[in-house]
Amino acid sequence: MTAVTTLTARTARFRPARALRLEIKHSPVVWALPVLAAIFYFNAYRVAAGFPPIWAVRVSVITGANLVFFSVIGAGIAAWAAAREGRRKTGDLLATTARAPWARRSTVLAATTFWVVLAYLAGVAVIYIQTALEATWGGPPLWPVAVGVVGVAAACAIGFTGGTLFPGRFTAPIVAVAVFVAWFVAVAAANGVQNAANGMRGTSVLLVAVIGRPQNPALGVFYHVAPDVSIAQVMFMGGVLLAAVGLLALSPAARVPGVRGLSFGSAGRRLTVVAAVLVGCGVAASATAFSLTGTARNSFPTGWEIPALHDAADDQPIPYTLDCTGSAFTVCIHPAFEPYLGAMSAALEPAAAEIAGLPGAPIRAEMNSGVTAQAVAGTTSVYTYSTEQEGYGGDSFWATPGMARAAVWEQGVQQDFITWFVSDSAEPDWSGPTPAEEAVAIALLAKVGAPIPQYQQFSGPSTSSGGSSTVGTVGGSGAQSGATAAQITAAAGRFESLSSAARRAWLAANITGLRSGAITLAQLP
Amino acid sequence: MTAAEVKTPPLPPAPSAARWPAPRPARSAARLVWLHLRSRRAPAAVLALAVCAAALRAVVHWRLTSGGGLTQQTPMILEGAAAVVIAVTTHGPFGEAERATGRWLPCLRLGSALALTGAAIGLLQLGVTGASLNGGVLVLARNVVGITGIGLLASLVTGGLLAWIPQLGYVAFAEYALNEAWRNPWTWPVRPPWDRGAWICAALVFAVGLGAFTLRGARSRLADDG
Repeated sequence: MTAVTTLTARTARFRPARALRLEIKHSPVVWALPVLAAIFYFNAYRVAAGFPPIWAVRVSVITGANLVFFSVIGAGIAAWAAAREGRRKTGDLLATTARAPWARRSTVLAATTFWVVLAYLAGVAVIYIQTALEATWGGPPLWPVAVGVVGVAAACAIGFTGGTLFPGRFTAPIVAVAVFVAWFVAVAAANGVQNAANGMRGTSVLLVAVIGRPQNPALGVFYHVAPDVSIAQVMFMGGVLLAAVGLLALSPAARVPGVRGLSFGSAGRRLTVVAAVLVGCGVAASATAFSLTGTARNSFPTGWEIPALHDAADDQPIPYTLDCTGSAFTVCIHPAFEPYLGAMSAALEPAAAEIAGLPGAPIRAEMNSGVTAQAVAGTTSVYTYSTEQEGYGGDSFWATPGMARAAVWEQGVQQDFITWFVSDSAEPDWSGPTPAEEAVAIALLAKVGAPIPQYQQFSGPSTSSGGSSTVGTVGGSGAQSGATAAQITAAAGRFESLSSAARRAWLAANITGLRSGAITLAQLP
Repeated sequence: MTAAEVKTPPLPPAPSAARWPAPRPARSAARLVWLHLRSRRAPAAVLALAVCAAALRAVVHWRLTSGGGLTQQTPMILEGAAAVVIAVTTHGPFGEAERATGRWLPCLRLGSALALTGAAIGLLQLGVTGASLNGGVLVLARNVVGITGIGLLASLVTGGLLAWIPQLGYVAFAEYALNEAWRNPWTWPVRPPWDRGAWICAALVFAVGLGAFTLRGARSRLADDG
């Protein structure tokens, strides 16, 4: 007798696990896995592969488009799974079983959520492994994973609750589309504050992750990415999850098959109390997160901070040691961007050799965070560059290391470097090189094989035909009369045709006057 | 039994035949069409299409997703939603039994799919009348037609009730194609209104889907019946 009792108790203990295993085995999510895989491949994997191998940048895709589309399919499938008993007309049959309807339904919800979250985590694993193989600095951030998992689970719970309360053939797609539209309306608002000014007050749209690439390719490289906003997002979506599960438990459909609507009656008082507590906790968590984001402040360069959640240690710069290469001209880069060092060195060394020995010529190039202003040419021996500066070429650090090895990227680096050297481009009120500076830069760049940069006169449609576009105040100096692209090109050609010694001698004598804007196009040799 | 007993007078016409009027073909056809549409929840589908149109109006009117690619993306989702509604109506509740009832079923399928597609385009366009919709009615119609074609094709494999999954999957892919500025004609939602290749692709998908659905009908056994 004792043995039988023990066996029954053990069987009862394993019954929920067995039911869950059966639900997982027969879950309809399996049918959606190919679609989820395709969505992940296009919207997350390919996008992440096109980003530089920086952890925070690559990982941004898992809380962006990937979370949105997994939520959409997850919510729809959960609504579909919730309506299963009605669809298969097994409600009466199941009503005779010993297991309570709410337990049965929560098992279905758990199985559905399990599959969707598992698929989501599989995608996350792919992104993380790919990044780990390519990144040279930093480690995997975990808060985005928490945001994604809670977001997907919340979407499943919303869909399941919708499918339970309003069973019907249109429920699943309508829930999916509603989640789709809601995400995009929210994302549109969230994208609007992505480029917020320093000191801007917080807003509830921070509860939604943005879609698209982050603001800076050096995200999380020089400063920590504060987890404040992620914590608020987890709180908000966790609250939605709890509230949806609570509403589900309050529904008589979770107790008596065939009944719709909510119930606050006495049927199963303990369950009602637990469900009401769940709803209350969920609403409280979401409301708290909502109000917390209202207190957020955007501060440069660390990003959005929520005072109640913020750790001041996150504001400190992350220590690092530059990776350097080269002897005559040393090129240094942050270790996170080490894969770009070869391309930077290959680009800068010939350009630096072209101006070596001239007054104010740099002997070293260093990457910095971009927080401090670039030093003015002639006053420093170090050329500083950052991931944020926008130059005249296609040398953005948004390019992957493979793309950076292309000639066009290296030429972009050379264009920025030479333009910086011949002009006062680091001056705060500088708005473009003068025609004489442009001509000298074009001549020097031609010597290292780089094309004409996208200066104002050369960026118009007539550039290729010889350049007839004229700008009244060329560049930003305004001190010289307008010059056409053809005139600048002709002057550059004359300067380039000088012997190397003559060119260097002229530059050594006139580089200061050239930078100050005192030398005009006509005064070039 | 004698021959006289066998020779009985002919039976009078059945009283029931006299009671019922001769069937009117037009009325019967209309009743058949109505019953078919009701079995597919077409009235509810039209209501859902109207809701989609109202949502599209709201999105465009209040500029809920203005800025960047989102201006084009959210209308695309709602156009996809209309196509999803049409795909869901392909499910019939009678299963195999319905296929044995007569020869009109393919015509009814064809007619209902065409009518709902037309209604979707009309209602969505009505919803944005006077508002500035990116791409105008041409892009709207092309999206509805193409994504409906995907749904009709999917209904042959998954059944009508789950045909929305490939459709929303395609819309999600189109969002990516829009962000990445793809130019392939089969990414028709991201192509300009006058793009011939995009129109050919969308129309081809719709024609193939409509033809297959007309001839074979949606899968009656649910895909997740395991």
